[in-house]
Amino acid sequence: MQRASRLKRELSLLTTEPPPGITCWQNESQLDDLRAQILGGADTPYEKGIFNLEIVVPERYPFEPPKIRFLTPIYHPNIDSAGRICLDVLKLPPKGAWRPSLNISTLLTSIQLLMAEPNPDDPLMADISSEYKYNKQLFLLNAREWTEKYASQQKKVSKPLEEKINQSKTGTTNDSAVQKRKGSNICKKEKKSRLDS
Amino acid sequence: MEQGLRDCCRSIRIGKILIQSDEETQRAKVYYAKFPPDIYRRKVLLMYPILSTLPLIKMEGSDSSDKGNIDQSEAQRQSQLDRLDREEAFYQFVNNLSEEDYRLMRDNNLLGTPGEITEEELLRRLHQVKEGPPQQNSDENRGAESAEDVSNGDSIIDWLNSVRQTGNTTRSGQRGNQSWRAVSRTNPNSGDFRFSLEINVNRNNGNTNPETENEPSVEPSSGEDLENSQSDSEIPRSESPSVRQPGSERSTSEELTTEEASPPRGQRRARSRSPEQRRTRARTDRSRSPINPVNETPRRSHHNTSSQTLDHSSANEAEGSSRTRQHVTVRQHTVGTEMPSENAVLFSTPETRPVPQAAGSSETNGTSESAAPGQRPPTIVLDLQVRRVRPGEYRQRDSIANRTRSRSQTPNNTVTYESERGGFRRTFSRSERAGVRTYVSTIRIPIRRILNTGLSETTSVAIQTMLRQIMTGFGELSYFMYSDSDTDPSGPTPNQNVDAAEPQPGGGGTSSNEGTDVSSGEVYEGGNEGGSTSGARREGRNTRGSVTFEESGSLPFLSLAQFFLLNEDDDDQPRGLTKEQIDNLAMRNFGESDALKTCSVCITEYTEGNKLRKLPCSHEYHVHCIDRWLSENSTCPICRRAVLASGNRESVV
Repeated sequence: MQRASRLKRELSLLTTEPPPGITCWQNESQLDDLRAQILGGADTPYEKGIFNLEIVVPERYPFEPPKIRFLTPIYHPNIDSAGRICLDVLKLPPKGAWRPSLNISTLLTSIQLLMAEPNPDDPLMADISSEYKYNKQLFLLNAREWTEKYASQQKKVSKPLEEKINQSKTGTTNDSAVQKRKGSNICKKEKKSRLDS
Repeated sequence: MEQGLRDCCRSIRIGKILIQSDEETQRAKVYYAKFPPDIYRRKVLLMYPILSTLPLIKMEGSDSSDKGNIDQSEAQRQSQLDRLDREEAFYQFVNNLSEEDYRLMRDNNLLGTPGEITEEELLRRLHQVKEGPPQQNSDENRGAESAEDVSNGDSIIDWLNSVRQTGNTTRSGQRGNQSWRAVSRTNPNSGDFRFSLEINVNRNNGNTNPETENEPSVEPSSGEDLENSQSDSEIPRSESPSVRQPGSERSTSEELTTEEASPPRGQRRARSRSPEQRRTRARTDRSRSPINPVNETPRRSHHNTSSQTLDHSSANEAEGSSRTRQHVTVRQHTVGTEMPSENAVLFSTPETRPVPQAAGSSETNGTSESAAPGQRPPTIVLDLQVRRVRPGEYRQRDSIANRTRSRSQTPNNTVTYESERGGFRRTFSRSERAGVRTYVSTIRIPIRRILNTGLSETTSVAIQTMLRQIMTGFGELSYFMYSDSDTDPSGPTPNQNVDAAEPQPGGGGTSSNEGTDVSSGEVYEGGNEGGSTSGARREGRNTRGSVTFEESGSLPFLSLAQFFLLNEDDDDQPRGLTKEQIDNLAMRNFGESDALKTCSVCITEYTEGNKLRKLPCSHEYHVHCIDRWLSENSTCPICRRAVLASGNRESVV
């Protein structure tokens, strides 16, 4: 169970040098329950949205991937209405591609990338996926609408899910989160290169 | 809450369980339970309103789920910190071990789980394992363990947790008209895990005299007593397996069971033995302990026990080795009411047992036989086995085994239900013969994550699955119990005998002759033919006494309810490397001269003296980090290249 020590390190890394557009913090100082925020990338329908995620770190981490799901509703072919994410690095081999050399930061970056570039060929939400494939305009419209509705900063108070987040976020990490949000309009290429490294 | 659930999931079946605290003991007990009969096949959603604020329901393990009050999270944090400290100490310790020591400890399953075990404990274990033959020192272990157990825990879950660390334990208990016995064994050589649980319900309306029932509680049963007698009884135990020949075993089974078709090979023995034989065993046992305490001196019970268990395990041995796969087998026999004819049937069986098996205990058997007639409470036997198998090679055989079983049972008016869902198989059958109703349920789960290295995880993973099994097993068990009997637990009988023996050195524990696997030591198939081999790795016997055990019938609901919530693993088998394959990988010590590098598994920099393992792709990791990953996976965590050459891999998979 390298979990505890490893998580400690990961968290300190995440606070000192978080990937652009991503913040992650402990939920009520529980070691295995983390929360994260991903900012919708520029030039994506999720732009200006703030998406909250829940990260549950299993006992066997890092030999098992953490369980990550979106708390904020998002209109995306690979993310279902419960927030579950269809992404290979979130699953164990042989099905998935999780490996212990990945970490929460890389996972969040992968998710960010997935948001920017959905994978309609491996859909979780079939209808959104076909919309993405065959009627991209409509998809973009819908996705923007959802972003506006659920993930925009102004309105977040009215969202029960996010209320919870906000409460838990009133702690220390909040400040840095806000700071990061300011200067984080990264472009996709940067994200990709991060992933590859 | 329920209404809401019903509204949104209309087809849902709802079962109920009511748990309340016992006024006297303050322990939780099941007040009411009713589940859908096919609960074992279903996914279970546990809805959990807490009506009481008392901290009476001891739900271990599921700490974070329910209440997040401040105290708890504070305590949690503290425990996490402690754990962190222990973890660091653990790695420190592992790093300081010499390679031989490391291997020794790992192979004996002594490393435990980082963070759960203290450095002192590790050191102690190391010394023990070095000083004496494993058998003895673990006896000591067990002694200490059991002493503890005697003093504090009597919930089965406590006990199960203790199994996680020690491997081999037996506990049993008796309360009022119910008595239970649980035996678990882990074979460090093979990673096999066995657990069996018997519950005897002695109905008051039977011929049994309540006073006699309660008598066991008076019986002295300190841990020391047991240890002594246990060491005595060790002799017959360890000897008899070698005496036994496969041939004789087989003939035995044929004698014992009339219902035999002739299934192929080793399965024959395993299969044919199981239902009858086990029932008998349970019977004997039951008749011995709760009902006829007069006959039960510790010594004698030990002999008796040892012979039984031996027998037991030999059957299992045969079974397991003939199948060679990861599976869990649960058998439950619920034998219904007191019927004279049934007695005759059942008790003839021990007599026909071959002499070598009975060895030093035939006398005892005789006793229990003579004493037993007339009292025939229902007995429930749960028998779990977890065995390691090479992934991929089991399915076909499995189905053969299944077919064999159902065939052999058809003559008896047997109903067999089989369900299969992915790797999870379950067979449930009910047979009725001469007034004896026998419920046999067999569950097989391929355990995916058994670590071939035998590092810490083996037992705990096994246990998880096992618990899940027990859980499901009991769902149905209780269903029967509740419908079959209205037992009424009488006063507690605080009385404990705990005892256990240890795995015998085991001689490598391999009896592979099928040659499907290049690497030695991992294939256990074919062991059926080698009676002597299985004898060699037969594990220590366990003895039992009685222990207070509230609600033996329904208890598992409660303590194990949390395990309902365990996720079913998905069906793919991660394909790990074997212990040998891992050991064959290059290993070195991190030297001062090396550049500063980080292990990408634990994200910790190497320090001098750290043991690193270098994979063929030349990526390096801490030994303890990568070993664990490789035991379930076969690729490099960094580059994802297969660690083994492809040719080699074929043979493994």
